[in-house]
Amino acid sequence: MTMGDMLARFEKVTRHFGDLVAVDSASLEIRSGEVLAVLGENGAGKSTLMKLLYGVYPPTSGKIVVKDCPDGISGPAEALRQGIGMVFQHFSQLPALSVRDNLLLAWPKTPFWKSRRNRATGDVLAKLRELAPAIAPDTIVHDLSVGEQQIVELVKVLNIQARIVILDEPTSVLTPAETGRLHGFIRQLAAEGVAVVLITHKLRDVEACADRVAVMRRGAIVDVSRRGERSMEEIVTLMMGKTVDGNLPSPQPVQNPVDRLVLKNVSAEASGSQLRDVTLAVGRGEVVGVAGVAGNGQTLLAEVVAGIRPVTQGEVLLDGERIARREPGETLSTRLGYIPEQPRENATVEQLSLAENLALRDLAAGNRPGETSGELLQEFSVNPPIPAKPAGTLSGGNLQKLVCARELGTARPAILACYPTMGLDLAAIEMVYEHIFAQAAAGAAVLWISEDLDDLLAAAHRIAVIREGAIVAVEKNDGTLTRDRIGALMAGMPVQSEAA
Amino acid sequence: MTADFVALLATWCIATLRGATPLIFATLGETLTQRVGIINLGVEGEMLTGACVGFAVGVATGNPWLGLMAGALAGGALSLLHAGLVLGAGANQIGSGLAVWMIALGGTSFFGRALVGNQVTPLPNLGSSLTDGIPFVGTVMAQATMAVPLAILAVAFVAWWLAQTRPGLRWKAVGESARIAAENGIQATRVRVTAIVVGGLLAGFGGAVLSVDYTQTWAQEMTKGRGLVAVGLVIVARWKPALVLPVCLLFGLAEVSVLRVQSAGYEFSPHLLGTFPYLVVLVVLVLSQIFARRASAMPADLKAVFA
Amino acid sequence: MSLVMRFPVFAVTVTALCFLFFAAAFFAALGKPPFAMLYSLVVYAVGDAYSVSQTFAKTTPILLCALAIAVPGRLGLISVGAEGQLHAGAIFGTGIVLMAPGLPGGVLIPLMLTVAAIGGGLYGWIPGILRARLDVNETIVTLLMNYVSVLLVSALVFGPWRDPASQGWPATVKFPEGAVLPAVPDTRIHLGLLLGILLAVGLHIFLNHGKWAQKIRILEGNRKVGEMFGLSYAFWVIALMSAGGAIAGTAGIAEVSAIQGRLQPTISLGYGLTGFLVAWLARHQPLVILPVSLFVGALVAGSDALQLFAKVPAASAVIMQGLLFATALAVPGLLARWRAYRDR
Repeated sequence: MTMGDMLARFEKVTRHFGDLVAVDSASLEIRSGEVLAVLGENGAGKSTLMKLLYGVYPPTSGKIVVKDCPDGISGPAEALRQGIGMVFQHFSQLPALSVRDNLLLAWPKTPFWKSRRNRATGDVLAKLRELAPAIAPDTIVHDLSVGEQQIVELVKVLNIQARIVILDEPTSVLTPAETGRLHGFIRQLAAEGVAVVLITHKLRDVEACADRVAVMRRGAIVDVSRRGERSMEEIVTLMMGKTVDGNLPSPQPVQNPVDRLVLKNVSAEASGSQLRDVTLAVGRGEVVGVAGVAGNGQTLLAEVVAGIRPVTQGEVLLDGERIARREPGETLSTRLGYIPEQPRENATVEQLSLAENLALRDLAAGNRPGETSGELLQEFSVNPPIPAKPAGTLSGGNLQKLVCARELGTARPAILACYPTMGLDLAAIEMVYEHIFAQAAAGAAVLWISEDLDDLLAAAHRIAVIREGAIVAVEKNDGTLTRDRIGALMAGMPVQSEAA
Repeated sequence: MTADFVALLATWCIATLRGATPLIFATLGETLTQRVGIINLGVEGEMLTGACVGFAVGVATGNPWLGLMAGALAGGALSLLHAGLVLGAGANQIGSGLAVWMIALGGTSFFGRALVGNQVTPLPNLGSSLTDGIPFVGTVMAQATMAVPLAILAVAFVAWWLAQTRPGLRWKAVGESARIAAENGIQATRVRVTAIVVGGLLAGFGGAVLSVDYTQTWAQEMTKGRGLVAVGLVIVARWKPALVLPVCLLFGLAEVSVLRVQSAGYEFSPHLLGTFPYLVVLVVLVLSQIFARRASAMPADLKAVFA
Repeated sequence: MSLVMRFPVFAVTVTALCFLFFAAAFFAALGKPPFAMLYSLVVYAVGDAYSVSQTFAKTTPILLCALAIAVPGRLGLISVGAEGQLHAGAIFGTGIVLMAPGLPGGVLIPLMLTVAAIGGGLYGWIPGILRARLDVNETIVTLLMNYVSVLLVSALVFGPWRDPASQGWPATVKFPEGAVLPAVPDTRIHLGLLLGILLAVGLHIFLNHGKWAQKIRILEGNRKVGEMFGLSYAFWVIALMSAGGAIAGTAGIAEVSAIQGRLQPTISLGYGLTGFLVAWLARHQPLVILPVSLFVGALVAGSDALQLFAKVPAASAVIMQGLLFATALAVPGLLARWRAYRDR
């Protein structure tokens, strides 16, 4: 097999989900020894396109041709047999089982008796030892960090001697250092003749390792170019469909802010996560970002401040009043605007209508709800803006907009946003940020937990870094703060001192 | 240690083992079913059906082994209904289990009327002139039948199979996430049907052991909730096959204590004493919840049934 | 016209037809003429005044037990404990009657009902608090507790509460006039039925309208979100499980007082399990429970009579219920799959 051989080809492939056209007549070639970046914003159809290749579902029309496979791919099992591996955004691992078991599950050569002494099962761990010798094979996956879990996912795919490796948004949960390492792996794989498909919405990934870039927008492939053929601005325009100058509003500096949201020596514990002696203060009109590797206590921090989980020690004050729960039995209704990740599980009640979800605070308190639903839905671009529709019928992105409508629609003393823009398309992200920063401008204290360092650097006044449940640093974002410095703090590496 | 004490200890041990044996099979079967993410409350019905059919065949053929086999097959056949309802028609798992239980209650009540009072040829005891003289072991063997070692072997086999083999790993995967199992090329539905039927076979076998071997009679509703106790014990055993043995022995011990107290002539109401085994299971269930260290060892897909 | 709009009615009709088919098949398997049997079943259920009275007599405990399951069911709790709570209520109610048999009816009857409700409520409170504080599965706990209270009834009537005058049969003394629930003369339609109907209407209002209904809906839909906005899941678990238990307790004492006239081991014919079936079929909606429990009550009464007069085995009532339940479980799912297949 020489470099550049066609390994798979999409021929005018279309996929419908009911009325939604997720992929629109896409044609694309995947070649060996090459890194192909499929670039587009959230919801553009990138994942769906590759899931069609992987056999998760069949195309509604069009054909997918795979070299040496005349009958096509009937399902993921067949894809694995044909040497196509996919590392999903939401890992395809079983958290309750060990690393070894997860690898054995995905490996075609697992013998009936998978005892350790059996030489065959030793082979399955070879690549793991090569890529990450620090991970003990009998560790339960639940106990691994997200970056480590991703390595296990990658090993699963490498174990099947994949000739096509598809990575779906792999860098969204990594530190800058881990991202760099991943880019290295990708280039190395391509050098060995593997066709690597990198699905991403980040230009940084494209710049670092792509040989070819396919830009997708609204389900269609709008452009395919070789590295260097197009400038970054041209690519961004193709991705958005319009010129975007686009950035977040720069933070208006706040003079001597009065503390509004204060965390004092907060410690807490819940299902494997913990917070250790967290002290942080957010002033009136201030935006404080929290950066950290996923799984270091961010969700617990958010839930403690929102009053969902109790604290074992310390307190959280809003305008001087205690808002943290001290015992599991206490009930409080949160006064902050809380926008969590995964709105379906954490912030909405699917069986209730949109109007009822908007009025949830009132309903829970036993009051009659107010009347402004329709306009609010329009203002926040919730689709479809029908107040009586059950919330369960909305997509994830629209549910998040619904939550924003509820939490950001009236002035709040403080806003707590925890990964508020995960999975949203750019227009929605813009809208969410607009409203959050408008609240800050009106005097709210904003505590913003995010995975996107670029966003944090662009818009936060200060950035705190959380690691293993403790705040390891709080840096002023005054123009001298770099990604690398935050990345080092996130990973716990020694920080280079600034050249004097 | 006097010879009397040893003999008493041995009698208690074997009585506990024999009392626990039917339950061991049922609990083991339900453990497998729950490990693939399905809860089957119909275990009670499957045990009852196994007891009824096993007894009938045992009486008719004069061969207890044929009875036990028949009981197992009957339990397996009944479990197909649960599989069909839950996996074929997408029915609610709790409801389906209860429906299966109801049908079995009625069915065995009807078909079993003719069996009351019949005699069945029991399984032979394991004792022989070789072993009778040995302290402790001799007494145990003299009162045990093949059902007991079979139960212990079954537990050992299932524990090994689930932990050490490839199909065992695949079953565990289905219980944790049918979606991810499918992504790994496993046919989740097929695994689930198999697990439900195996659970039914084991429950039916356990029921047949109850009627043919342990009590050697048939009476209406004779399982008295043992199948439901089994479902509870699966949780106490934290879904680990190896722990099925000790938790079932606990129940067996409770039952044997009740019988001994009664036969010792104390003036306790037999009905009041009869509540003791159930109370023991309830207490152990609550305790295991309090002391469970891992937040939940429950297979992830099973949690969805209760959410 | 698309089936989607008529789906619920369509599903119900198909279920009813399938059930009739299976019932007919069941009779045929017994060697009896199927349609004649079905006809007799209907006649025995509603054919004359006596049959109607029997139907209502059976409907009452089924209705109350169904409500007892539906109340916690609205929060998503799966309680199968009506049978045990029924017996617990019967014990408590009988206890007060035995302690103070001389009280006038106007005092004794409300007292008896209240105490029975308290007893049943306590029996529902236990699984409730275990679930609320320790997250112990209420389905298993209620199933096991059923056996305990049934045995306790036997322990009492074979033991300290045994009527010395009744020779072989274990039972308490006959309830005095003042403790027997008033009934429509010459029928078995008693106060319990009225209570059941009133409860159904009251629960409909409570569970579907007003602020408490909203709170329960929110918690049932998403517990985390409810707690975020100040609701207490634990409180509602305990409250609804206890309330359900209280209702089943009333069913228990109603059977003892109005139908049996004394506490004895056979006060219930599996009404608890039947109640679960009815509540589930009615999707825990109290107003729907009314006609469904009537239907099932008629089925049970008819089967009982069929057993006496047509030599059909006693267990057929249970088998028919099981068939009804299985059919009702299978049909909606199968219809949905058929529609999905057809739309592909």
